[in-house]
Amino acid sequence: MSNIPIIIQREFNERVRKKSFIISTILMPVLMIALMAAPALIMEYSRGEQKTIAVIDESGLVAPRLESDEEIRFEATDLSTDEARRELTDRFGVLYIGRDILENPSNVRLYANSSSSLSVESSITGQIEKVLEAEKLKAYDIENLQQILDEVKTTVTLQTFRNDKSQEEDTQAQSSTVATVLGYILGFVLYMFLLIYGSMVMQSVIEEKNNRVLEVMVSSVRPFDLMLGKILGVAAVAVVQILIWGVLIVAAGGFVLPHLMPAEAMAGVQAMQQGVPDAAAMSGMDPEAMQALAAMTDLGYILKIFGCLLLFVFGGYLLYSAMFAAVGSAVDNVQDASQLQMPITLPIILALLMMLAVIKDPNSPMAFWFSIIPFTSPVVMMARIPYDIPLWEILLSLAVLYASFVAMVWFAAKIYRVGIFMYGKKPTLKELFKWVRYKY
Amino acid sequence: MKDLLTVEHVTKQYAAHTALNDVSLAIPEGSVYGLLGPNGAGKTTLIRIINRITAPDSGRVLFDGHEIAPEDVYRIGYLPEERGLYKKMKVGEQALFFARLKGLSRRDAIARLKEWFEKFGIQSWWDKKVEELSKGMAQKVQFIVTVLHEPRLLIFDEPFSGFDPINANLLKEEILALRDKGATVIFSTHNMSSVEEICDHITLINKSRNILSGRVDDIRRRHGANIFEVAYRGDEAALRRAVAGRCEILEGAEEESVYRTLKLHVASDDEVRTVIAAVNEAVELRSFREIIPSMNDIFIRAVNGQL
Repeated sequence: MSNIPIIIQREFNERVRKKSFIISTILMPVLMIALMAAPALIMEYSRGEQKTIAVIDESGLVAPRLESDEEIRFEATDLSTDEARRELTDRFGVLYIGRDILENPSNVRLYANSSSSLSVESSITGQIEKVLEAEKLKAYDIENLQQILDEVKTTVTLQTFRNDKSQEEDTQAQSSTVATVLGYILGFVLYMFLLIYGSMVMQSVIEEKNNRVLEVMVSSVRPFDLMLGKILGVAAVAVVQILIWGVLIVAAGGFVLPHLMPAEAMAGVQAMQQGVPDAAAMSGMDPEAMQALAAMTDLGYILKIFGCLLLFVFGGYLLYSAMFAAVGSAVDNVQDASQLQMPITLPIILALLMMLAVIKDPNSPMAFWFSIIPFTSPVVMMARIPYDIPLWEILLSLAVLYASFVAMVWFAAKIYRVGIFMYGKKPTLKELFKWVRYKY
Repeated sequence: MKDLLTVEHVTKQYAAHTALNDVSLAIPEGSVYGLLGPNGAGKTTLIRIINRITAPDSGRVLFDGHEIAPEDVYRIGYLPEERGLYKKMKVGEQALFFARLKGLSRRDAIARLKEWFEKFGIQSWWDKKVEELSKGMAQKVQFIVTVLHEPRLLIFDEPFSGFDPINANLLKEEILALRDKGATVIFSTHNMSSVEEICDHITLINKSRNILSGRVDDIRRRHGANIFEVAYRGDEAALRRAVAGRCEILEGAEEESVYRTLKLHVASDDEVRTVIAAVNEAVELRSFREIIPSMNDIFIRAVNGQL
């Protein structure tokens, strides 16, 4: 009889009962949302106080038409440039506009009292350009100019469809923006799971070794069973965590969100889902937001993504945790592990970098190959999945991933078996590989 | 008596050194078998081979007549020298976990644990975390975990280290009680006085070889050096004169409260009676006994190659 189920049960219970599991399960989604919202919030609050800029306009054309906003306040002054630079030191700076500005647009200077910023500069040049363009247009003396300009102005919203889909699905509008954002999120979730749960296995092995529980354990459990049981037990924790999030998101997307949104917005979303984009456009919402909402409330889509997420997290985690277990068995404490971890963390980081590149062009050959190679495939493939890539690619990637997990467990178990009885000296990577050939 | 465990010509080689070199031994059922040897002699490797933690390069281990198999770990209880429990786990839950790994059902395990906890008076520890226990307390829990599944073979590696004399004694009683109930005990230690007290048989391993095996009594007698101690009252000079020529006088008498003593080396057994007669003539003889070497002496002499 195998003892693996008993080991799995212990590993699972020990972790799920911990307060930290419950807290992290709740905090992770909150943190994710915070991470996404943070840049916007920081932009919102980092504007700081309004900057006052004194304007010396020798042409007299520009100054009256400069518009102050929340960021910059323009203030005309009669002082000469030198005087202004000397006296108005409490201002952000002094802007000098030359008399021949219309003919010589480079005759603009900003004397800043502190370091200038890109956003201030672009705001100033933008405003001056607009004034000058309007001034030049005026010289052509066209009637109803403003009206013509308003009518000419156009914004294009692209709706993308897939040709290779069946008739029904063809109606589902695809949004690259939604897919990109979702791809980023999924890629990062994978990356975090591999690192967090992988090093959890490593720490647990080190702890057992330090406690000397291992000596007791191996008299009743084969080291291989112990390692596999630990890996699977921690995996069960990861799966449960994802399932909890899955249920939360499905509940939010499928049931709560439709009730919270205004009725006309939901009508638009439904129209979008049924492939009537024109009707959707009628609701007057931002089409991108509408597409995001449509994806969020489309149960089939969510289930597919979560199914893939589970399979790739599980496979990727198994592959990496076997390596983490081998490293953990070889050292006496976490500090010693950092050097040996290099060959594990490097591919994960590579996968993350690849993901960032791949997401811009999810159908390139590079994207394909990195989502087949097992060390990068979980992160890269997961980032591509929102783009509706062919099923065979997903299946191939999974097959390669799970096959390499089996090979890796065999390999790691050999190191583990030797490592758990090695105390004291910190082994090098080379020695670790030598252990594989030890006979037991 | 039949042997429960037989080790036949076991050799185990690690990369740089030989841990066991052609070691054979037979452990009779129902005995307490001492496994002795200096540090690094190969005792732990032998124990690991018996526990199926590692496999020998050559040779074999027989358990109850058959080559030792994976299921046999359910019939073996092992208390390693380096002891450890999961620190964050509760005592009862942990004991239950280890019991189930040894093949006990949950219900059996709980019933037996209750019994043992009562015997040691530690029922109140059930819901405590191991990290809250003192070292000695944790050792008790570990002992229970080792014997709970009533194995036929028990292996204790330095079981008394870390125990105070009272608890060490309690443990000794329990070990002997388990033997009386039919268990066979392998007892690995450096503490020679405990070997004399509880071991029936011993094997001494030095530099990866078995250099001395047998019953404790036989070994001690065999290695007796024909040294006798006379306790007497009377004149030392007269005694010395009386035995002169019949045997060698080893140590001068020490002044003791009631008797004086003298150690003699008698060359052959035939001489013993004439020496006794001579002593009896010369002084008031109170006792005349052979000094059997302690296991400690035998251990040191054997390891130093003086046997």
